[in-house]
Formats: sequence, C-alpha cells, structure tokens
Amino acid sequence: MIFQKISKQVKGELAFAGSLFLLGVFVAWDTSKMDIPQDNSIISPQTFPYMVSAFVSLVGFALIIHILRGNHGTPEGNSPTDPIEPLNFKTMLIVSTAIVLHVILLEIAGYIVAAIVCFWGIAYGFGSRKPIKDLGISVVFALIVYFAFTQGLNVNLPSGLLRGIFGNGK
Amino acid sequence: MANNLSMLLDGFQTAFTPTNLMFGLLGTFLGTLVGVLPGIGPALAIGLLLPITLTVNPTSALIMFAAVFYGAMYGGSTTSILLNTPGESGSVITALEGNKMAKAGRAGAALATAAIGSFVAGTIATLLLAFGAPAMAELALTIQPAGYLALIILAFATVGTLLGTSRIRGLVALSVGLVLGLIGADLQSGALRLTFGSLNAIDGIETVTVIVAIFALGEVLYLASRHTLVASQVLAINGRAWMSWADFHRSWRPWLRGTAIGFPLGVIPAGGSEVPTFLSYGVEKALSKNKNEFGKGAIEGVAGPEAANNANAAGVLVPMLALGLPTSATAAVVLVAFQSFNIQPGPMLFQTNPEIVWGLIASLFIGNFLLLVLNLPLIRFWVLLLKIPSHYLYAGITTFALLGAYALNNSTFDLKVALAIGLLGFLFRRFGVPITPLIIGVILGPLAELYFKRALQISQGDWHILIAGGFPKFIYAILIMVIMAPFIWKFMKKFVVKK
Repeated sequence: MIFQKISKQVKGELAFAGSLFLLGVFVAWDTSKMDIPQDNSIISPQTFPYMVSAFVSLVGFALIIHILRGNHGTPEGNSPTDPIEPLNFKTMLIVSTAIVLHVILLEIAGYIVAAIVCFWGIAYGFGSRKPIKDLGISVVFALIVYFAFTQGLNVNLPSGLLRGIFGNGK
Repeated sequence: MANNLSMLLDGFQTAFTPTNLMFGLLGTFLGTLVGVLPGIGPALAIGLLLPITLTVNPTSALIMFAAVFYGAMYGGSTTSILLNTPGESGSVITALEGNKMAKAGRAGAALATAAIGSFVAGTIATLLLAFGAPAMAELALTIQPAGYLALIILAFATVGTLLGTSRIRGLVALSVGLVLGLIGADLQSGALRLTFGSLNAIDGIETVTVIVAIFALGEVLYLASRHTLVASQVLAINGRAWMSWADFHRSWRPWLRGTAIGFPLGVIPAGGSEVPTFLSYGVEKALSKNKNEFGKGAIEGVAGPEAANNANAAGVLVPMLALGLPTSATAAVVLVAFQSFNIQPGPMLFQTNPEIVWGLIASLFIGNFLLLVLNLPLIRFWVLLLKIPSHYLYAGITTFALLGAYALNNSTFDLKVALAIGLLGFLFRRFGVPITPLIIGVILGPLAELYFKRALQISQGDWHILIAGGFPKFIYAILIMVIMAPFIWKFMKKFVVKK
C-alpha cells in the first residue's frame, strides 16, 4: 500500500498532514519559549497551549496514517469517485495577485484604486475577456462601495491618490 | 412565563420604533440579497454585512442582524431550488428535491413551500427560543466552570466529528482553529503566545476576519484552482411563486415535523443543520404517501428539510444566547456581532441587557414575517441576481470580503491575516476538510481555556474537579454517546438511501 505510486494530490495531502504535525511541534516550542510575567496563578499559561499542541500533532499524525491507509480527502464539491483534476495554476496566480495588489495598493493608492484593480483582476482571472466593460463595472463597484461606506456608514477608508478629488478620507 | 411574555412585548415595543423597523427591513433585504448569491451561506452573509452595523447603535444593529439571519437563510434556499448550488450544508437536501421540482416546472410551488415552511418553522422556533433561552439561562447560572468546560468539549466533539465526510478531518479543522485561538496575550497572565513579536497580534486575530477569509477568500481561491467552472443553469419560474391547496395539504405536516426535528437538534449541539435536514428528509420519505415521487421532486422533501433548517437555526441561538456557546458557524457570527458591542451572551445576558436581547427576539418574529411578505412577490428580482456572470460575482465577493476584513480595525495587518487564512481555506477545500469546526475552535478555544483555569483555581490545582459533580459526568456521558453516534448515523444513512 504505502509503496505504491502516489499521485500529486496525495503527496499534497500528505504534506498538509505533515505540516499539521509540525505545527503542533512549533506551538510546543513557542510555548516553551513563552515569557511569563510573574506567574502567581495556579495554572500556568503554558498548560493549555501544550495541550493544544499535543492535540494538533496527534491529529496530524492520525491524518498521515489515515491517508497512507488509502483514505484520501475528497475536494469540496466532488464526489469520492470523481477524478481529481490538477490545480489550475494560471487562474490561481492571477486571482491571488489581484488580492495581494489590493492589500499593497490600499494604503498607497487609496481604496478606490485598490478595489478597481482587485475587481478587474479577479474578473479577468475567471475568464472575462471584456477588459473595457470590466473596467467600467470595476469603477462603478468601487465608487458605490467607497461612498456607501465613507458617506453612508462613516467608515473611514483611505482616499489615497484621489484625496484631492474626493475629499474627506484619511 | 408571564414575565417572559411581558418582556417579549417590551421587545416588540423596542423593535417597532420606526428606526428599528427600518433597520429590520434593510436587514431582510440585504440578508436575502447576499444569501441569494451562489456560494454565500448565512454565516458568510452575516460576516460580510458586519461592518455595516459597526456605526449603528447596538439595539438597531442586532435587530438588523436578526433580519439578515433569516433573510440569508431564505435567500440560500432560493438558490438551491433554482440553481442547485447550495450555499451551505443545510440547503443540500433542499436542492435535492427542490431543484427537481423546478426542472419539472414546479419552481413556484417549491419556492412557496420553502418560504411558508421557513416562516412557520421560524415563528414556532422563535417562540420556543423566547421561552427556552431564559429558562436555560436560569439553569446555566448554577453551572460551574468544570461544567462549562464539559459543555465546550461536547460542542467540540459534535461539531468536529459530525460534520463533513470524515471524522479525522473534522478534528483537523478543530485543531487548527484551536491554534488560531491561542494567538495573542493570555487572558490572565498577559503572556504572549504565537505573536512573532507583532504588536497587532497581541489582541489576537479577529473572528470576523477568520470567518470572512475562510469562507470568501478560501472559496474564491478554490474555485480559481479548478479548471472547469460548473455553470449551472438558472431554472425559470412558470407563473407565480405560490402553491395550490393540494400542495399546501401535502406541506403542512412536513413543516411541523421539520420544526420538531430541527429545533431540539439545534439546542443540543448536534453539529450544524446537516443532521436535522437529513433526518427530516428521511422521515418525510418514510411517511409519505407519494414515495415514488422522492428523487423526482416531492414537495414534502422540500417542506420538511426547509422547516428543519430554519427551526434548527433558531434552536442554535438558544445555547448561543443562554450559555454563550455557539455551535454553528452562523451562531458564531451572531456571537461576534454581540461581542463587537461589548455584550457577552451567556446566563447573565437576560438580566444585564434585557432590552437588547428581547428586542432581538421580537425582531426575529418581525424579520420572519417581513420575509414572507417581501420575498414571494419579489422573487423575480432575486432571480435576476442569480444571472450575474460568475466572474463578476467572484470579483465582487472577494473585494467586499477584503473590505470587511479591513474596515473592522482599519488595519492592513487584518488583511494579511485574511490572506493567510484564505490560503488555509483553499487547502481545506482541496483536501476535503470541513470549515465549521475551525470557526468553532477559534471561538470556543479561548473560552475552554478560561473555564479550564477557573475550575482548577477553584480546586487549587486538583484535576479531579473536572469530572466532579453530576453535571460534568452527565455531559461526558453524552459525549461518549456522541462519539458512538456516527456509527449509528452511518447505518441510518445507508438505510435511508438504499430504501
């Protein structure tokens, strides 16, 4: 069983289970390094984290065994007999880039720009090929959200580059 | 009893002010709007709408929440029926028969029985909630920390092992949630845990960020990872969303039975709405005179599970309000909503914040009623939402989710946490790990530690206190039964499906 050729998906799942085990070890290590400011309580602040770390490692170890015994996970939305498709790296890359750009641009360029980039990028990633129309929709979406939150709900969002035009942001 | 009734009437008085009524109406509308969108279940819907309530006063905000709560569930069932893409586990069964009915041109009847059934179940269950929650709160005042710890461990076990396809994967999700819950300063000593020297991490990570990121970002990343996007077809509604007398006659018993199954299973943490809806489906199938219609669009198979789903959701609010213990993702978000106004649900809630809690319960009635009035006539408008091209939908959900994560504290730190958790959500989906146990772990982990420490402080460090006394023993006995339950459950599932 163990030595038969294992698929990429199973390798990935084993890596996931392995990292879970290591996460438990890491939590234990972090707990052992904990700075305890004058501890006068009966129960040390380390007890519970140690219990959690043991639980995580135990579950991770059990998952490894479980997978090696042939009980592979079923991706969400698949039924157990469906063939498992390889990852679509291209779409994932575009979508995650759009999300990361949003985070980077938010405080540099302001909410509106960041939201336009994110919305447009994700629509493109998911296969939309009407860049101009998408841009229009992104702009409208970003403006509606921005004004609904800053004007309607008094939530502060960075105005960034457009500070001069739209006034009252940060 | 009489006292509760007068408190409830006061609650209606609170809810019926023009401002609060307007927030109720807005909540119903927004809840349905977001709930209808494919792939968004009630928990995410409420999570996404949480920032909207930040600037509103607590009573109005929670009233709006109550409306969003029922609205999102109602919207979800519409999507299951017309699109066959259930947004959450509770609507899976609805999609089973409902979508078949829609394909057979009976979408109107399916939507009507879902809406009216949800209303009936929601109203009865809210009534039970109004009297059950204060009673439970009173009992809860006598529960010692060790008893609370036992209850939390029971919730861990039920949520961790009953959800999803494999028990070990439920525990995986739970364990990761517990780790996320550790992050930040220890409540009693102030010692820092897993903060990596970051000042932002001292307060721990926001539960809303976790919920929004793991549901929205995780889902979008997962969808991006797949080559074939299943483009489901939106089924048309012929005629009005309404049902005939014959349909009504076939529906009313399933509604009541669904309520009777759903509510108690929500109160005792049976791990979300999957079990009650499935049970209700099995019961209706067994009792129906039209057994041959099951699998081809039997109205009983929509009426029962829909009622069970709604009654279950109201039932879950009982331990959430009375004990402060959420046992579903949706209840967890409602708990967070309370906490964002510095109100801690639990046994004292009915005494410390009667106006808010009774206003909330009254609003559940009102929201439920508004939904019935609003949704059947507006159904064509909701159907339009189902026709939004999926790339715009995913773009909108993601951008809005990121806004939700940011707007909570105006901090990019929260956004970075959201990215990491979104990635985790993707891995969970790819490897078939359920999401809800993680959320329960994040929320209840710190509480478990708190009660654990309190119990041992009372006993001066003697661990025997954890199983001393009748109540903890009783709970641990149930725990053992719960651990055995999946075997019985598996057997029943086989039995029902084969039949």
